[in-house]
Amino acid sequence: MSYTWVLGRRALREALRTPEALLPTLFIPMFFLVVNLGQAGKIFPSSSTGFLDGQNYAAFQLPSSMLLAASFGTAALFLVEDIEGGYFDKLRSSPVPRTPLVLGRLVAELVKGLGIAVVLVLLALPFGIHVASGFVGFLLLIALTALWAVVYVGFMQLIALKTRSAAATNSGGLIFFPLLFLTPNFVPRHMLTRPMEIAATFNPVTYVMEALRSLILQDLVWGRVLAGFGVVGALGVVMVLLNLRMIRHYD
Amino acid sequence: MSKLITQRTAGDAFVGPAVETRGLVKHYKSRDGVVEAVRGVDLRVEAGEIFGFLGPNGAGKSTTVRMLTTLLSITSGTARVADVDVAREPDVARMRMGVALQEAGLDPRQTGRELLVLQCRLFGMGSDDAASRAQQLLELVDLVEAADRRIKGYSGGMKRRLDLASALVHEPQVLFLDEPTTGLDPASRLVVWEEVRRINGHGTTVFLTTQYLEEADQLCDRIAIIDGGLIVREGTPAQLKSDLQSRLGLDDEPSLDDVFLDATGRTRERVAGVVREVGA
Repeated sequence: MSYTWVLGRRALREALRTPEALLPTLFIPMFFLVVNLGQAGKIFPSSSTGFLDGQNYAAFQLPSSMLLAASFGTAALFLVEDIEGGYFDKLRSSPVPRTPLVLGRLVAELVKGLGIAVVLVLLALPFGIHVASGFVGFLLLIALTALWAVVYVGFMQLIALKTRSAAATNSGGLIFFPLLFLTPNFVPRHMLTRPMEIAATFNPVTYVMEALRSLILQDLVWGRVLAGFGVVGALGVVMVLLNLRMIRHYD
Repeated sequence: MSKLITQRTAGDAFVGPAVETRGLVKHYKSRDGVVEAVRGVDLRVEAGEIFGFLGPNGAGKSTTVRMLTTLLSITSGTARVADVDVAREPDVARMRMGVALQEAGLDPRQTGRELLVLQCRLFGMGSDDAASRAQQLLELVDLVEAADRRIKGYSGGMKRRLDLASALVHEPQVLFLDEPTTGLDPASRLVVWEEVRRINGHGTTVFLTTQYLEEADQLCDRIAIIDGGLIVREGTPAQLKSDLQSRLGLDDEPSLDDVFLDATGRTRERVAGVVREVGA
């Protein structure tokens, strides 16, 4: 664990020293929150829209913004820079077990994800949003967002390690957008058309989004929350195992 | 300086050669089929030597070094560094070797000090020891003033010196330097040569690849020339020149350039012709 933390701290330092890569992870999700609220806020007034549970439409949209913020995967692009610049080989030539070489960045992403999620919630407060599930719910909201960031960067690290190409890694990261739009992004799942509802049901991001949404709009609904954590946990295990396999066979 | 790279003693000496390969082979799969990058290399580098590994572009130099330094898997054959089989015990081998590869592999967002401290931590030092060792190494390579600046602002020579320092954090028994002076100005090159001699003077075996024959002539006790994935010449620079002189019946002693051209089947005319062709 100490090697993982040493490498994780280095990855965090790298992120903090690249504000031009960090700031868009806050700005773009907030931009979408404002735009989506502006476009659909009047269609769904809180007084007559049951699925908002008394809050405004910004509260319904905040999970999308949080997931988007957690799905930039810039850590994987930094990994490609390490590979292309030769620094990754320097790390590989040290007697560190191979596992921390990939886990270090994932740990850094978890810490970064926690910070970004907290800042996003704070930025969302002026829109009249509050976390209905209380302080425990707030902690779960932040944790689930950060864990999703780990899953997503784990996926992008796989592309980075396989292709060793910034262009391919960047393009691979765009897969999030179709996944995001195949969720109950604008309305609850039961209000989607039948084909979209089926697609959303098979989309794992749906369960993460619904868990985040329930934490913001409702008291603790454990079924929803556990489904979100279950999806993130299962995908997280798969991503970590695939990353470990990839680094052990990296040539 | 004496603290930086301690004189090797009988206690940390290893039995046998510093580097030994037998039938080392590396094949890659490509779209066009299998590429035989290294086709059976046998090498023996004695402890305490500066060994030069030369060859034209694509001859298999870097591939061989990457196999020796555990960065690349070995298709067949064996490689031992400081008495350790690099394929069977890669972590033990990594503890005994230092590696500075082509194009100094550094993280431009860290400072020189941070990079060295991190490297020390990866070799198992605690934070205090790591900070102390980093300071020593910064003094060694004359980077104390720039130590707390980001590496992206360093010149090519400074980066190369820092890379060299990072390869020395754990006082390796064998130091691999892959084209350590490529792209450096003449003054920086001399500084690196001086460091290599100093490191070797304290008992560290140096395995050096280079494209500069003058560099090999100046620095190396023995050299090997690889071409097409096979060793085509091996010996001291003086031996190789003498062999060529007697074989061709030359009046004057040939240069290492002549040895290289002869060994790789190239001629000055052919090389000049290629240059003219490209230039046209």
